[in-house]
Amino acid sequence: MAHQLSIFVENSPGKLERITKILADEKLNVRGICLANAGEFGIVKIIVDDPDKAYDKLKEHHFTVSKRNIIAVRIDDKSGSLCNLLTILSSNKINIEDCYGVSVAYNNSAAIIIEVEKYPDVESVLKKNNIETLTDKEVYSI
Amino acid sequence: MYWEKDIETLSFEKLKEYQLIKLKETIFQSKKSEYYGKKLKDIDSSSINSISDISNLPFTTKQDMRDNFPYGFLTVPLDDVVRLHSSSGTTGNPTVVYHSKQDLDEWTNLVARCMYMVGVRKSDVFQNIMGYGLFTGGIGFHYGAEKLGVLTIPIGPGNSKRQIWFLKEFQVTTIHILPSYALRLYTFFEELGVDPKKDLKLKTAFIGSEPHSEEIRKKIELLYGLKAYNSYGLSEMNGPGVAFECQYQDGLHVWEDNFYIEIIDPDTGKVLPDGEEGELVITTLKRDAMPLIRYRTKDLTKIIPEKCKCGRTHRRIDRIKGRSDDMLIINGVNIFPVQIEKTIMKVPEVGDNYIIELKKENFMDKVFVKIEINENTFHGTLNEIEKLQKKITEELKSELGINPVVKFVESGSLPQSEGKAVRVYDLRNK
Repeated sequence: MAHQLSIFVENSPGKLERITKILADEKLNVRGICLANAGEFGIVKIIVDDPDKAYDKLKEHHFTVSKRNIIAVRIDDKSGSLCNLLTILSSNKINIEDCYGVSVAYNNSAAIIIEVEKYPDVESVLKKNNIETLTDKEVYSI
Repeated sequence: MYWEKDIETLSFEKLKEYQLIKLKETIFQSKKSEYYGKKLKDIDSSSINSISDISNLPFTTKQDMRDNFPYGFLTVPLDDVVRLHSSSGTTGNPTVVYHSKQDLDEWTNLVARCMYMVGVRKSDVFQNIMGYGLFTGGIGFHYGAEKLGVLTIPIGPGNSKRQIWFLKEFQVTTIHILPSYALRLYTFFEELGVDPKKDLKLKTAFIGSEPHSEEIRKKIELLYGLKAYNSYGLSEMNGPGVAFECQYQDGLHVWEDNFYIEIIDPDTGKVLPDGEEGELVITTLKRDAMPLIRYRTKDLTKIIPEKCKCGRTHRRIDRIKGRSDDMLIINGVNIFPVQIEKTIMKVPEVGDNYIIELKKENFMDKVFVKIEINENTFHGTLNEIEKLQKKITEELKSELGINPVVKFVESGSLPQSEGKAVRVYDLRNK
């Protein structure tokens, strides 16, 4: 199971910069990033090539950070493919907690990062429907 | 202009004699309670020869009242008690004050005396914008006004547009209101097209329940075109009607036929001479169901020794300067920081670093709770933080009646202090 890092940040200038600087200093490469904002604070979600190392480094710098399970799903880079994926999930009563797209233009396919409550379920559902998920290694080198 | 001329203008010497008689009666009465029965076991009221001998008696504190909850201070059978008022009890036992029929009559009379003093008569219309319920402010004035024969509108606080509608429709002349709410209410007039000076008949406002400056009073008088009088009271001493300004608005007359006042050094307990600033200590002189002897109010003020131009002999106290403890007055509600802390700490996800900030917003007090995000319970979702915010807000609302703004901040971003952390920052007068 691949991981992303969820980091609590106050919504003020320079916060994201500090996080990326810490990662850059450690030669960690950001593969995907997304920000969920709730006014005065937010959660930054980051995929890096070495999440364990990034987690430790951010902790060292007193960030409140959590590792979260994700699934990266490969879909075709064409109209309707995201809809197709979501239809499969919803018809199996799998609720998406969060989702964002990363790195299009990859062998004519795109990757969608999803967070759900029921991980074993989602994996078997996707497999049954011939939807390809990325391996951890692939995720970290999207 | 006097409600009870004989009493209000009683000569200084006569007043002292009267107080001595009443103090002896109070000691006798108080000893019927479990608490004073033990505490004053060795005190014989015949050994009290002058009112100043009171300084030989022990102080009574809010903590004593809590420790002897529920009936330790009660001197009459419960059957003779007709009402109680209580503080909120988040930090342990609440402080409860019991009133017999006689106590309520005395209290009502004192409030009537206060209102009459500044010209309120039965032809007036009175809108009571103060809170009713366990809080003594609203209900105390309500009965006083009715005793005067004044048409009384028991509207309570809030719903500003309705307040203005009543003020206008019934040509209200007299209001009782929190000073901060008076300023806030003013901001609604323009929108409704009502000019408080032209369209209303207001002439008198009673303002109290929270400390306010002379500037605030002047501002309220100017905005509404009325006279605003400062009112002082505390639930342990009935509520409103303990001390009140006369038409000269220069200090508050304490009704010394009902209350004996002393100013003490809050650290040593030593009685200070009139004119010196210290903590106000009050002894009830007429209380039936629950006399209190040398009760430490924790309010800081001084006694004004000079005679008042109004002819009343009852001494005045200066407006309250502050507190000798850390009690906060938030929109008229008395709250101790520890009550807020205990409420917040009941939520397990809250870490141990948080601060409480008090600020003024639209003239009203606003409580901001800033909490450092807890690394050990953070799971990385926005949802969990929003839920937590809501939970803390609701706890504070239901426990303390305050509506806070709860904010989460990054871990390590709040000031760390050595020893006992300073958690409450009162920025209201900054």
